[in-house]
Amino acid sequence: MPESNSQSSCRPDSCVQNNSSNETCTPYLPTRAVLSKITEMAYDNFLFEFEQIDAIFRSCLPGQFVEIWIPGAGESPISVCSGSVGKTLQLLIRKAGRVTKALFNLKPGDWVGLRGPYGHGFPVDLYKGKNVCMIAGGLGVAPLRSVWQYLIEHRRDYGRLVLIYGMKNSDEILFADELMALRHSQKLELFLAAEDVTVCHIANLEIEAGRVTDLLDLAELSTDMQVAICGPPVMYRFAVERLRRLGIADENIWLSLERHMKCGIGKCGHCFIGGKFACQEGPVFQLTELANLNEVIEYPREKIQI
Amino acid sequence: MSVSSEKNVQKSFTLPKSDFDKFFTLLAQMGTVYAAVKVSEQSFAFRAVTSAQQIAFDAIRTILPPKKFFYPPSETLIKYDKDGIYENEPELEFKVIFGVHPCDLAGLGIMDKIFSSGHADSHYMRQREASFVFGHSCMPDKHCFCQSMGSDCAKSGYDIFLTDIDSDYFIEALTPAGDQFIALAQPILAGATDKDHERNHHFWETRSAAFTNGFNSSNLKVTMEGEWDNKLWDELGERCLSCGSCTPVCPTCYCFDLVDIASLNNDSGSRKREWDSCQFTGFAKVNGDYNFRPTPVDRLKFWYRHKLHGFDDAYADKTCVGCGRCTVSCPSGIDDIVAVVKALQVSSAAKSNEVADA
Repeated sequence: MPESNSQSSCRPDSCVQNNSSNETCTPYLPTRAVLSKITEMAYDNFLFEFEQIDAIFRSCLPGQFVEIWIPGAGESPISVCSGSVGKTLQLLIRKAGRVTKALFNLKPGDWVGLRGPYGHGFPVDLYKGKNVCMIAGGLGVAPLRSVWQYLIEHRRDYGRLVLIYGMKNSDEILFADELMALRHSQKLELFLAAEDVTVCHIANLEIEAGRVTDLLDLAELSTDMQVAICGPPVMYRFAVERLRRLGIADENIWLSLERHMKCGIGKCGHCFIGGKFACQEGPVFQLTELANLNEVIEYPREKIQI
Repeated sequence: MSVSSEKNVQKSFTLPKSDFDKFFTLLAQMGTVYAAVKVSEQSFAFRAVTSAQQIAFDAIRTILPPKKFFYPPSETLIKYDKDGIYENEPELEFKVIFGVHPCDLAGLGIMDKIFSSGHADSHYMRQREASFVFGHSCMPDKHCFCQSMGSDCAKSGYDIFLTDIDSDYFIEALTPAGDQFIALAQPILAGATDKDHERNHHFWETRSAAFTNGFNSSNLKVTMEGEWDNKLWDELGERCLSCGSCTPVCPTCYCFDLVDIASLNNDSGSRKREWDSCQFTGFAKVNGDYNFRPTPVDRLKFWYRHKLHGFDDAYADKTCVGCGRCTVSCPSGIDDIVAVVKALQVSSAAKSNEVADA
């Protein structure tokens, strides 16, 4: 190759607080952020807030994700969970793997690394002037919170808003206070269900016994609904089946798919879904984009077709 | 077919093989020279060489492709300490890679595209820029099928290309750096005559006729999609050891993992990139024990598909360059791409005949 360009303009100093804007810098370099607040939302599910974040995170859009780095433990892709990002970034994280466990050992004042935001989120511009139904399963409520917060922030631009939220056990409910406030404000219609309803610690939130699919019948969705779905892989098949039966067209159904995006920039190959990079073209896909792709929803060996 | 289809007299030269030592001295002035060296009875590897005598000119395929020079199996990307996070920028060694065959040049072209697109990978790009590549002609063995994949004639990825025309080398420069080197080597080179062009043409014609392995690659995508549930995959999957031998040896396999190496008290440390393989069990695993490709069958098909008709990545085309490395390195003998493609094509043709009959 031509020029031996051993003198790179990228010095460590300039890289430390500069994210992806400088092209000569490595795209894998996180910027520092300081953990400012930890709130327990449910067992092993905490809301983490970070301060002193890089200005680039203000461009976060609903459904996008960031890579959070705990030095020594590694990185993990986490969805943005607020409608907009200002001085602080909120991430709802479940204690699950090596990185998230390490995060639960941190205390306010400790620093982490952040990269992003990455990927294509939910098409909130396309939703303008339309009715929107959000379907959340379990922890899938976190990415969808960024959607409902955004839609409510721009409430006049949107029609009917419905949030359907299903969980295994009613005591796993996340953002209960916020959901209560939403129900009171009547800015959004809320439907909740749990497979096991034990004593709900928010008395005014009615939680039906059942699944997301049961709520879809209750919600009386019109066929022109735009639908945003995020949940465990097993949920998609049933939810999509029911939506189709309700007459909702595939092009109006948007799914956020979970994969282990290790690099976030379309290089490492871990998030391929049938040949598409989930970190670039996703994590939110229009159902029609996925129609002819293998290995989309669940274990492909079970020959599950959507 | 000729490497350069146009006869451009000023860009083509010849060098008598007897003068190669002088040529080597010149190229060694640029940096450390790496070339194929015989490392065992049956294998060759790119190693640093200090004299032309060490070079195995007859090497057909090295164990690892030249991607290892720009995308090493393990490299530190990031370092951190109490004060900050830094990009790791090791001192670069200018590398002269000698004797890269057309399949591997095509492979480098694909890697260049992957790592330079979008969020460009500065680690790869820096190392790639600090290199000079000499392409070299070769004759196919029974595993070579670059002709089927359209990568048998080098079009890019090199600075200078040498074609072996009996007692001489036919030499062509592609890049400005290549031209500069030609200018430097002018005293020992002769301008190519019409006769030399003819000899060069004859070599590539002979070589094209020498392939014994291959298939028709015009319908690979349709075949792969139509034969996705062919039971051949189950047979291959049952024999697959998920050892991942096929991926490091592939000139275009670029998947990697990122890992942290911390000091004992975690005051400082580094973040490394290491080659990963889509054939490993946990490659497509996410939290909550979901594995999107849980069996060897799923993983093998995934790999074959990436190689045979590509993904929607930066390259978006078939990434197999027909070097035959996976075929020779697979301990179970299931990476015989040519045999697999042919079997799928037979099944596909049988299906369309059925449709035609009906």
